Amino acid sequence: MITFENVSKRFKEGFTSRKVTALDDLTLSVATGEVFGFLGPNGAGKSTSIKILINLIFPDSGRALIGGQDVGNKDVRRLVGFLPENPYFYDYLTAEELLRFGGQASGMDSAAIKQRTDLLLTKVNLDKARRRPLRTYSKGMVQRAGLAMALIHDPQVVILDEPMSGLDPLGRKMVGDIIIELKQAGKTVFFSSHILSDVERFCDRAGIIVGGKLRSVESLDTMMASGATLENVFLAEVDKAGQKEVD
Amino acid sequence: MRRYYPLIIALLFAPVYLLCLSTLGPLRKAEQQSAGYSYTLPGPIAKIATLDYDGLAADYLMLNIQSYYGGTFERTERPRVKEAEWRWMYDVLTVSSDLDPYFFDPYYFANSFFTWDAQMVKETNILLAKGNHFRDWDWLPSFYMGFNEFYFLHDNAKASEYLMQSSKKPGATAILASLATRLAYKASRTEVAIMFLQQTIEGTKDKVEREALEKRLKTLQRIFFLENAVAAYKTKLGTVPGSLKDLIDQGLVKRIPTDPYGGVFFIDKDGVVKTTSDLR
Amino acid sequence: MVKPLFPIAVITFKEGIRNRAIYGISILALFMMLINFLICQMVMRDVGKVAMDIALSTVSFTGLLLVFFVGINLMAKDLDKKTIYMVLARPVSRAQYMVGKFFGMVALIVASNLIQGSFAVVSLFILQRMYANYFLRFSWLMFFLALLFIVLMLILLTALSFLFASFSSTSFIVLVLTIVSYIIGNSLSDVKALVEAPQSVGIHPSPITVKIVQAAYYLFPNLSFFDIKTQAANGLAVSLSCVGWTMLYGFAYTAVALSLACFIFSKREFP
Repeated sequence: MITFENVSKRFKEGFTSRKVTALDDLTLSVATGEVFGFLGPNGAGKSTSIKILINLIFPDSGRALIGGQDVGNKDVRRLVGFLPENPYFYDYLTAEELLRFGGQASGMDSAAIKQRTDLLLTKVNLDKARRRPLRTYSKGMVQRAGLAMALIHDPQVVILDEPMSGLDPLGRKMVGDIIIELKQAGKTVFFSSHILSDVERFCDRAGIIVGGKLRSVESLDTMMASGATLENVFLAEVDKAGQKEVD
Repeated sequence: MRRYYPLIIALLFAPVYLLCLSTLGPLRKAEQQSAGYSYTLPGPIAKIATLDYDGLAADYLMLNIQSYYGGTFERTERPRVKEAEWRWMYDVLTVSSDLDPYFFDPYYFANSFFTWDAQMVKETNILLAKGNHFRDWDWLPSFYMGFNEFYFLHDNAKASEYLMQSSKKPGATAILASLATRLAYKASRTEVAIMFLQQTIEGTKDKVEREALEKRLKTLQRIFFLENAVAAYKTKLGTVPGSLKDLIDQGLVKRIPTDPYGGVFFIDKDGVVKTTSDLR
Repeated sequence: MVKPLFPIAVITFKEGIRNRAIYGISILALFMMLINFLICQMVMRDVGKVAMDIALSTVSFTGLLLVFFVGINLMAKDLDKKTIYMVLARPVSRAQYMVGKFFGMVALIVASNLIQGSFAVVSLFILQRMYANYFLRFSWLMFFLALLFIVLMLILLTALSFLFASFSSTSFIVLVLTIVSYIIGNSLSDVKALVEAPQSVGIHPSPITVKIVQAAYYLFPNLSFFDIKTQAANGLAVSLSCVGWTMLYGFAYTAVALSLACFIFSKREFP
């Protein structure tokens, strides 16, 4: 469903001509209906690869595909729901207006939007606050609104960048339940995190990226069966990559 | 107690503040009149500087001039307005009319004060010519120019030319027709001036302005009264009187009226009635 | 292509109109209309002209405040605070985002000018009753035409600000560039007239200066075409052909600026 083919990306650092490699020849495939976790230390390239999928950044070389189509094609995003890390929304809109915008921009009709809005706002526990402007929301509430926004059009593929950040335990449980629900509905979920326990809980497979390079892809089942923990595998990979500290 | 310290400090500074305020006000004002006028941006530069607020800037300059001139009435020294100040005011009026040549007030102000008080008649007519060119629907600028040519510059030919122009414009009052004929018969200057002033006063709403104009009108009417008496004397005795007292002696007038400007009416050796104040 | 433009325009408009700055701007306009009464009392004769000057200048100025602060701020939120993710995550292209946002801004400008314009109408209506003798050349048609031209000018300036936003990294740069463009746009014809006939002021511009000014004349929008405040204040007429050509000029320049903006923006990344 999601494919990275030799994707590389370098960024210019400030005004010097020094370039930083964010992604180095990333090749990866996520199957339909799979829940894939992308792990790595800060600055490893998780956000970069996700932003390439949403066409916010363009790869220097290689390409990315979702559902067989190049991510540069805007219609790809009809199938994709995206929740960025630390989402920001317009201050003066209400959650209801936000979701209406999301639905309309994705081509839904008003009846469908109304139905999905009620459903999702209840699910993320924002029903009481739906008419209040987003300015008045706490960080956790904003995160949950973002999640509803990502799911408003019932997408086949859900891409989440650090979905648990800023949430209290109740929020984290709620997000986790939603991910499980999505999996049971046959959706493909791709999320990045640096919280190992979350990845262990939900994912079918996990990819570990360090310094822009994909180091390993593990199937959680086989890994657990062999007695290893994700933490061990992760630390081993980081060690191999020669990084003692996070960037 | 500690948290009130900022409040206490504020209170301590309050008298200092009040002292400065009461001192600076009059201090700046005293310095103002001596240096309040000096330089003004030339018209084309001003047009650039005011971006798309030319009209507003023209209005602002005009109001500035009005308040500056109004401020001179407080003065006791004579002459009340210095020549350099008149020059500066003229320059500002020029800029104002450069910014918006359709604006009537600069032309009106110039004509009201620069001719009588500053004796800058030629310059006033230059300014009025601009107004006449742009305000092509308006009979007043050419009317003013006509009057100035007649009364101050003694050019009857030019005067009647302008008045002709003026009478053809929409709204020109009937008074113009009679003025044109008066001029044709070389009527008394004073009578023309009186008609002109009456016309002007009619359109004036500001109290201070009205008072100034009515004062002038009253004076001219008294001069006219004396002129008529002098003419009667000449008819009766064949010569002009040596002094105005002769008019009383001949029984032509009961007494010599006073000059509202504080001067004294007299008759000069050519038999022209004048006043020591010269209407200023 | 057109379908997603409407929701983007709607959220842009809502976000703008709910900005507290709109209240401040409207209060300023109301205040100026009250000042109008005070100032008109001091005017010797040409009250109608001064009243119209103040009314139109206020609408124009508050409109500028709207474009510079609310408008560019809306852009700023997207550039600086990454609120653009919420739009670009939808199946919309960069161009659709730009154009949708632009239409939202146009709606905002029109709405704001309706508010300030209505204050002006009330103020002028009352003043006309008070000083009927001095309002002889007053024309409501010219007033509304001047208002329309102000709106067109603001829309053009907004399109230009979008062009600047398409390649600038912060909203501050966009603000500075737009203000500079406004100043240049209004000085252009006067400066061009000056350098081509400098003897009136006695300056001697070098040939390079003259060439630069002439180049700027083609590059920057000549905003003075949209300034008919003097004509409106003095009751002068503006020919129908003049109105038509001016509107066409505004439309053409806006289209060029916006198209360029879309093109540059489509190459833009958001890391």
